[in-house]
Amino acid sequence: MLTKVMSATHFGLDTLPVEVEVNIAKKGFPGFNIIGLPSKSVEEAKERVKTALVNSGVEFPNAKIVVNLAPADIPKEGSSYDLPIACGILRSLEAISLPSEKMFFYGELSLDGSLRHTKGVLLLALYAKERGIKSLFVPKDSSFEAAVVSGVRVYPVENLAQILSHFNGGGQIGVFRGLKEIDIHEDIFPEIDFSDILGQESAKRALEIAASGGHNVHMQGPPGSGKTMLARAMAGILPPLSEKESLEVTKIYSVSGNLPAGASLVYDRPFRVSHHTTSRIGLIGGGSNPHPGEISLAHRGVLFLDEFPEFSRGTLEALRQPMEDGEVSITRAAGSVKFPASFMLVAASNPCPCGYLGDAKRECKCSPRQIMRYQTKLSGPLMDRIDIHINVPALDVDELMERGVVKKPERSISVRERVLRARKIQLKRFEKDGIYTNSDMKNKHIKKYCVLDSAGQAILKQAVNTYGLSARTYFRIIKVARTIADLAGRKDIDATCVAEALQYRVRSSD
Amino acid sequence: MNYQDFEIKSVKIGDKIYPKRLSEIKNSPKRIFYRGNIDILTSKILGVVGSRRMTRYGRNVVKRFIPTLVSEGVVTVSGFMYGVDTEVASETLEVGGKTVAVFGCGLDVVYPPENKKLYAQILENDGLVLSEYEKNAKPHLWKFPQRNRIVAGVTSVGVLIIEAGIKSGSLITARLARSMGRKIWAVPGPIDSLTSQGTNYFIKKGFAKMATEPYDILSMKRTAKREYEKSNLDFFEKKILNLLAREPLGADEISQALSEDISRVSSALTVMTIKGIIGESGGKFFLVEKSLQY
Repeated sequence: MLTKVMSATHFGLDTLPVEVEVNIAKKGFPGFNIIGLPSKSVEEAKERVKTALVNSGVEFPNAKIVVNLAPADIPKEGSSYDLPIACGILRSLEAISLPSEKMFFYGELSLDGSLRHTKGVLLLALYAKERGIKSLFVPKDSSFEAAVVSGVRVYPVENLAQILSHFNGGGQIGVFRGLKEIDIHEDIFPEIDFSDILGQESAKRALEIAASGGHNVHMQGPPGSGKTMLARAMAGILPPLSEKESLEVTKIYSVSGNLPAGASLVYDRPFRVSHHTTSRIGLIGGGSNPHPGEISLAHRGVLFLDEFPEFSRGTLEALRQPMEDGEVSITRAAGSVKFPASFMLVAASNPCPCGYLGDAKRECKCSPRQIMRYQTKLSGPLMDRIDIHINVPALDVDELMERGVVKKPERSISVRERVLRARKIQLKRFEKDGIYTNSDMKNKHIKKYCVLDSAGQAILKQAVNTYGLSARTYFRIIKVARTIADLAGRKDIDATCVAEALQYRVRSSD
Repeated sequence: MNYQDFEIKSVKIGDKIYPKRLSEIKNSPKRIFYRGNIDILTSKILGVVGSRRMTRYGRNVVKRFIPTLVSEGVVTVSGFMYGVDTEVASETLEVGGKTVAVFGCGLDVVYPPENKKLYAQILENDGLVLSEYEKNAKPHLWKFPQRNRIVAGVTSVGVLIIEAGIKSGSLITARLARSMGRKIWAVPGPIDSLTSQGTNYFIKKGFAKMATEPYDILSMKRTAKREYEKSNLDFFEKKILNLLAREPLGADEISQALSEDISRVSSALTVMTIKGIIGESGGKFFLVEKSLQY
């Protein structure tokens, strides 16, 4: 007997319907085949489904079973077809009766017949809503993310036995009641607080501006000056994700399997750290069935790249386009997908390979050629895309103590308050523009929202002549000045804002 | 123009045009190869040596010394290495002087390669490059001290050391020059600077005379006056100026010393930089001298 069960597959962040057709023929040589371009993980569903059914008390038929995943020309991957295949077999065996209403089945089976957390459930729920399909049968551990979507009935399935009784008029699976309200975290407890870091006031100020406007930052300084600590402390001053942002982020985390079992939405702003051996595909995304890279996992959050110049040149240059566009399109033989990648880059580098160029205490052991090679790794176009450049000097702690003028460093929490205020101003300003922060501004927005007073204009014009700024740098400075003005609560951008913004421009090394 | 457009010539010891002073030293090269104008070796020649890892201080010294020396008709000689050598050669050319570069390799090998343009510029400005090696000889570490004896050998005025570490090639050259009976000057530097240890040591031991202005070398008397732009500054900017007059400082240090908000300090620093009153290097701000008047 032939049965059709609905399921879905994901390609990038797009969801496509997949019809799972199961036929059990009494005649013919006994066997179990899956067709429709299954990958290895789908191929192995045979053993999982068979054992799970047997362990759930179903007598597995000694017949010819053919499973077709339609449309047959799209490659299928992952373990989410276990549940629809099992349901199809049960229906074909007439062990259960499925209603005529269209419903989605999705999830991985364990050998004992229970269902495991499966990636991509949020996207399935969104797709179901879009297509007007009311019922979803998904693993219980994954139902939290599905429940975020209103207007669909999510049935949290614990095991196959529940399916058997639900569709046989026995005990019903209750519709999942999701969390009542979205629990946005107002308080966060960062692992490193700004007050843990002595001195470095100008770096802290720069990070505050960066966090407020979502600007990319590049920190340069000798080893041990606290670049990594500063970057990590940054997590503590970022505003929480808004509901809309949270959904965007959760989609990426769900489809890439980064959402833990039982989680619903991602609340904390992502803070991703990549080591410099990360491959280009690992960072940008890719693969034959494209999966998101670190830049997409850092969407709406921070991507921290320590030892920036140690990354391979190709990897660094590949960052350029996504940094500009806020998304990355990946084209492979199977098709082209777009992943959002609107991240804030925090990069840290040493001034030279040994790290001590220009250091007062230690001698730099690099040859000028080595230094040149190291510094040219960071190409002009790449550095042009970073709004804020700061120098993080090595500090002499004894000296700091001696001077005794070290103010008690400010706690992250009070810095965060200012950041939140500045973000609020921006959200209100860009309400109708579909962007969130000053760094997202395109030239048309700059024209509209960044009014410089005459003194501000004069100083910027002078700076362009003195430093020979590129057009892109020019606009970056205006964006940073806008953020500085927002932090100060000013409507127009005055000369002091522009002058401070100019301190963070890219410098040619000498 | 390219450096290749100038022909390589050679001269043997005993020839009429072989530099006289070079022929008087111990183990003078049997034969030298050169490009450019060899006659300039008969003018007032000052050897300038110094660290490859030059600091901003060394650069300031070059900027203070070379223009005056050139205007007094001095021709500089250096080793064509990066750091002080390169800086001296380009500064000499910039102020319209002539310079001599002594290679530690063949004349068709440009080492360091970044100096290719400088090579051509030296020749275009009626300068000279010379070497005792065949045109394709590769640079080797042992050739550089060898090269130094030629630098010392061709000098007539003497040798000036600008920034040198305690164990450096510059001091080797200076010792060679001393053994040849050449005069040595050294520019003193901060006692905690690694690249001034060698120069300070030479002054302390009496191996070199101290030079704090170009007239020390030309044995003339005049003193330098430091002048900074002071007009057009508001009260706050003047406070920063007074701080920086003592030593270069980072933005954090300035903000601490004045107990002033970092954002205000940053924006004032930008304004002062644009006005050209201060400069910035490696995160430290320093005063730019308005003009060097002697």
